[in-house]
Amino acid sequence: MRRFPSILCLLCVVALSSLHADTASQAQAAAESLRSGHPIDAASRYRTVLTDSSFRAAGSPELWYNLGLAEEKSANAAVASLCYRRALLLDPTFTPAQRQLETVLVTLGLPVPSGWHESVRQALHPEMLVVAGSILGWVGVFGLILLVFLAPWRKLAIGAVIVLVILGHGAASLGTLVDPRRVAADKAVVTAKKAPVLHATPADSGAPGGTLTPGILVSVLSRNGAWWYVSGGPGLTGWIPSDTVTPLLPAVSSSAGGSAGSAGGS
Amino acid sequence: MNPALLRVWLTVLFLACVAFAPFDRAADISVTAEMSRPEISAGEMAELQIKVTGAQQADVPQRIAVDGLQVRLTGQSTQVQMVNFKVSSSVVYSYIVMPLRTGNFTIPGVTITADGRQFRTAPFQFAVADTRDAPAPAVLQPAQSAPPPLPGLQPPPRRARPAAQRVDESRLSFGEISCAKKAIFAGEVVPVEIRYYFDANYQVQVRGKVDFGSEGIVAERFPDPKESREERDGTVYNVLTFRTLLSAVKPGTIDVPPAKLDCQVQVPGGAPPGFDDPIFRQLMGGQSPFMQSRDLQVKTGPLHLEILPLPKEGRPSPFSGAVGQFDIDAVVPNPKPAPGDPVTLSVKIGGKGNFKGMGAPVLTDDEGWRSYPPTDKFDGSDELSYSGVKSFDFTLIAQETKNASPGAEFSYFDPTTAKYVTLNTKPLPLQASPGAASNPTVTPDTTAGSGEKSPPKSSGSDHQEVKQGDPIAGITLRSWKTPMARSEFLIATLAMLTAAAALTGILWYRHLQAHGGSARARRRRRISELLESVRSESLDATATFEAALGYLELAVPASEEREALINSITSRRDQLKYGAGGTRPLASAERAEILTAITGLSGNTHRS
Repeated sequence: MRRFPSILCLLCVVALSSLHADTASQAQAAAESLRSGHPIDAASRYRTVLTDSSFRAAGSPELWYNLGLAEEKSANAAVASLCYRRALLLDPTFTPAQRQLETVLVTLGLPVPSGWHESVRQALHPEMLVVAGSILGWVGVFGLILLVFLAPWRKLAIGAVIVLVILGHGAASLGTLVDPRRVAADKAVVTAKKAPVLHATPADSGAPGGTLTPGILVSVLSRNGAWWYVSGGPGLTGWIPSDTVTPLLPAVSSSAGGSAGSAGGS
Repeated sequence: MNPALLRVWLTVLFLACVAFAPFDRAADISVTAEMSRPEISAGEMAELQIKVTGAQQADVPQRIAVDGLQVRLTGQSTQVQMVNFKVSSSVVYSYIVMPLRTGNFTIPGVTITADGRQFRTAPFQFAVADTRDAPAPAVLQPAQSAPPPLPGLQPPPRRARPAAQRVDESRLSFGEISCAKKAIFAGEVVPVEIRYYFDANYQVQVRGKVDFGSEGIVAERFPDPKESREERDGTVYNVLTFRTLLSAVKPGTIDVPPAKLDCQVQVPGGAPPGFDDPIFRQLMGGQSPFMQSRDLQVKTGPLHLEILPLPKEGRPSPFSGAVGQFDIDAVVPNPKPAPGDPVTLSVKIGGKGNFKGMGAPVLTDDEGWRSYPPTDKFDGSDELSYSGVKSFDFTLIAQETKNASPGAEFSYFDPTTAKYVTLNTKPLPLQASPGAASNPTVTPDTTAGSGEKSPPKSSGSDHQEVKQGDPIAGITLRSWKTPMARSEFLIATLAMLTAAAALTGILWYRHLQAHGGSARARRRRRISELLESVRSESLDATATFEAALGYLELAVPASEEREALINSITSRRDQLKYGAGGTRPLASAERAEILTAITGLSGNTHRS
């Protein structure tokens, strides 16, 4: 009876490892399908893989990148841009995804995002900034405490650890600031193949106010049933049907892959 | 007036107009001829229409003799219009022109007799080109505007509708189906024509769509039918002609069931009592004014097809299912893009065949280019989309400086020669160069030579070595939340905060320990020491009084009693200090008196 917890833990470990192996084999099959020139089948397989429960709280940038390739080769450039954005959301230093996104955006006629946010997060992973900065900051805090109580006469050392505290926690704050996931909850990508028309009111009869190019990243300002009030930039604000856009963050509570799949069909 | 009688009078008036109309129009007859296309490719057909305006009938030849062409009368259609009681009519005779060989032909003028007069059309120049020699596919222009969809066929104006009698359904309507070929290759599309004949004496309403198809064949959607009129065995028929494309999926013999069309025909019915007077029927021109609807299903004969497999030998590697006769061309709309911008290579496949089942051409000489699957667009030159031009637009991005586009290779199967044909386009001149951010494979020498910036290096990503466009193996899990929003990070931060606070506390405590504890403790300890000094019998009197004064200042709150006691003790101390006896211990009685005084003032302090 004493061995029961150990056996239970062992079973859990075995179950998790077999689930991961199954997911990996499915991803491998999807990759083979993509390499052999069947992007539609590959996209379907990747979407199936992404519905695995292990991807609900976390995502795989590689899988989203591969799904983006499949969607791109299936002539779904807008959905491909969504997949690449999700891959970059998970890993902003993911260079292949960055290049593919730039290519797709150029193909769609959209500007490539550039700015200091992008430059920082492409050079340093925001998560690494946060974690490493926090570690350094806390090391500085503990060093400061020790110095103040044990060697208060070492003014230079105290000044150095104060700088370490500021730099460390400043880097952590910077990482949080440039992390694209911080504002991803309010972002969406236009995945409809036909450019949706912006309406002044949430109705088809609303006065049109321009169109949103497929693949563009928009900010969701408000939601009203099947209509979302979005902004795609200066002068591009209005109501569009919610089925023409897909949230940048996949629904955590539901299947992650289904989000991309539904985007492809819209 | 009785409505029935009014209808009779109107009918008589209309017939009178029609009867006297020939006298009006006899002097105004014109004949025109028109070809649907001046030039066709071998294997295609054209239509010749001769229109006789001002007459309802004309004598036209059944065939027009031209060496190398087969020109055959296929039917006629009549239009009668009455405007302000003036009747005008025209009849159009349709000939099908089938080439027997290629070359230039002259269709001679056709002699037509109408109302006893002879008319002659102008001769036509007509060319039949070899498809494979044609530089570009011929563009088929529609011969005429499309008829209204599924019309209700109207009876001819001059024909008398038979009186109520038993109708022979076999002569009332029938259908025919014709296919250009009886043996086709799998994947080949062939035009199929389905004609439904309806006796022109009866009004017919078409209901539903043509039911045509079988397992193993694919029939395209039927466009709107064409309406014409044709005479068979002395009976004039309204003809509905449906055309579509048919293709077979797998080799073998297929018997396609008859094509069926549901319709409703108006046949004469029995007159109700009171209206069966022969005089009344005579006034109606022999027609029965009372009709009844009858549902009818018109069928064609079955279609027997032999489906041949595509030969495996000689099948080129780029072959992707195209069957027909095609030509290829390529253009680059933007030959000088900005660095890093994509180039579009538009490969155009023209001709006739199975455009829907056609795969994209294959790019050749595409080293140094990143290409994407093409988008395609089809521009049909006929209503069946049997012929036309399909454009495949490849998006290309230069990975190095390029002066020419890739070429394209396209293979198809020609069913007329039963051989595979491969077409090529040569690389087209252009000027393209990679962008600074999208050129990971450019070597330093190349960039130095072209004067471009080297690409930025990635920050240690493991994926950099992956070839562009290839899927990446491996699965890493990353959270969708920022670290600040994750519980583990918050717990770790809280733990750090707690540890820092604990460390601070510990060090502070040790610091206090090292420095005698807190001020209060030090004060209490000092009070106790002073009290012990007052009690000590070894101290001299001055020191005892000093201790008592210190005790009073620390342990006793300020008050008049304390000030008075301090003054008294100070006076006594000074007396002993500056007089005699200051260096000796204080007497026990006086010590006890001082102790009582100071502890009496401090109260609880003394007791504790």
